[in-house]
Amino acid sequence: MFEAVLLFREALYGALVIGVACAVLGVYVVLRRIVFVGAALAQLSSAGIGLALWLAGFGLLGSTHAHTIGTSLVVTLAGALFFGVGGGRRFLHHEATIGVTYSVAAAMGILLVAKAVTGEAHDLFLQGNILGVTRTDTLVLLAVAVPVLLLHLVVAKEFLFVSFDPETAQTLGYRVVRWNLLLYLTIGLVIAFAMQFAGVLLVFNFLVVPAVTGLLVARTYWGVFGCSICAAALAATIGFVISVPLDLPTGPAIVAVSGLLALIAWLVRRVRGE
Amino acid sequence: MTAPLVGFDRVFLGYGKRPVMEDVSFQVPRGDFLGVVGPNGSGKTTIIRAMLGTLTPIAGIVTRDPELRFGYVPQRDHVDSLYPLTVRDVVIMGRYDRIPIGRRPGATDRKAAQVALEQVGIPDLADRPLASLSGGQKQRALIARALVGDPNLLVLDEPTNGMDLVSTTQILGLVRDLHDDRGLTVIMVSHALNEVANYVRRIGLVFGGRLRLGTVAEIINESVLTEVYGLPVEVNSFNGHRVVVARSHQGSTGHV
Repeated sequence: MFEAVLLFREALYGALVIGVACAVLGVYVVLRRIVFVGAALAQLSSAGIGLALWLAGFGLLGSTHAHTIGTSLVVTLAGALFFGVGGGRRFLHHEATIGVTYSVAAAMGILLVAKAVTGEAHDLFLQGNILGVTRTDTLVLLAVAVPVLLLHLVVAKEFLFVSFDPETAQTLGYRVVRWNLLLYLTIGLVIAFAMQFAGVLLVFNFLVVPAVTGLLVARTYWGVFGCSICAAALAATIGFVISVPLDLPTGPAIVAVSGLLALIAWLVRRVRGE
Repeated sequence: MTAPLVGFDRVFLGYGKRPVMEDVSFQVPRGDFLGVVGPNGSGKTTIIRAMLGTLTPIAGIVTRDPELRFGYVPQRDHVDSLYPLTVRDVVIMGRYDRIPIGRRPGATDRKAAQVALEQVGIPDLADRPLASLSGGQKQRALIARALVGDPNLLVLDEPTNGMDLVSTTQILGLVRDLHDDRGLTVIMVSHALNEVANYVRRIGLVFGGRLRLGTVAEIINESVLTEVYGLPVEVNSFNGHRVVVARSHQGSTGHV
């Protein structure tokens, strides 16, 4: 069993990096009630992957991983920019805009991949292939996740204030739109890279479920981040360890463990009577 | 004569191109205690947002004293109870703009928060989760957050909305004490004319996209209120307290 796990240890490291980065950003995603922005950005990222593969079929873009990541990044960050400045709010409810983006991006991702002619196993790009993560991939993920997490550490109180009470923050001189934009761009950046390896289901899970677990058990704001990180790391490790010898799909196994941890957290909260 | 803290000069306010308030001109001198009153949706909050700088006027000029520092108390239900923050965490936010990026609040900030909590009468609640407080306690915590930044203009948006009689009286008494004892300039927005009329010095009545401003005596009288509300209005006095009663055409009465 352990030999099998050791064989795929690079994939586990990659899952841990994605899990921890998404777990931190996910606290804002859940607290700000923008869960479906995370889902929509993940779908935009998949549409970006589809677009890159489709363009490659016409010779308009290279078919390397770098081209795929680059296109996905541009599309995801454009979406983050749109949501960050409150795009579409003038005419539509924010949730309606998110819903339209989510469904159209999901469909575009599938349609573009269906018409791509590069002959690769394209579905893997959309569904993710966490077991295929190599050491180089993990280093790429670290190169994105570490600066993002450091930035979040530095501007933690600013992100807290503009998320918790943007109106009051604005009266104290905070440029709320710019702070929101920065937050959304970091979320978009991490999603765009994580999507290349983990797929929509796993990325969305890491963005939401560990943070929910943290909110259920932690008693302090900073404790939520700690619990969310622990929940993500635990889910990634346990899900990975049980999926390899049991020949289960790794992504869904990690998601199932995440859900189980959230259930335990809910029970703990019930027992504590809060 | 000192310059006013805030001045509106022929200001038109709205969202998009649609004006909500037209030709608004007034000043807020230091030491003022102004109540901005009007029915729900009349444009009170729009005026306050323009004053705070969170809404850009369609036309006209809003001037602010260079030394102006707002202490803003938003409506209680605008503050999200999902966040697992203690009362102290929330109060310290009022000093965040003084703490450089990358630095955490220090002992000075925590001490200032404790002093602010003592000023509003809830020093023992500092470590309690904000979400666990009653409406009145939460309102006091938000006032403490506004005070901790050492403001010279305190702005409260519907501070007694949804509160029972006891909490309403206590909060309004606290605001009046802050004005009387600290000389703090206060602007209080409310839809409840009767609550505001007995505490403030001046009233700005918002109706029909306009603002009518005057002393309490100038505004709280039957001719003005009857004209504004379009109903026969009585102003009675009990033990020095004004009570405004609207009388419908069928003869029934109700508080304004």
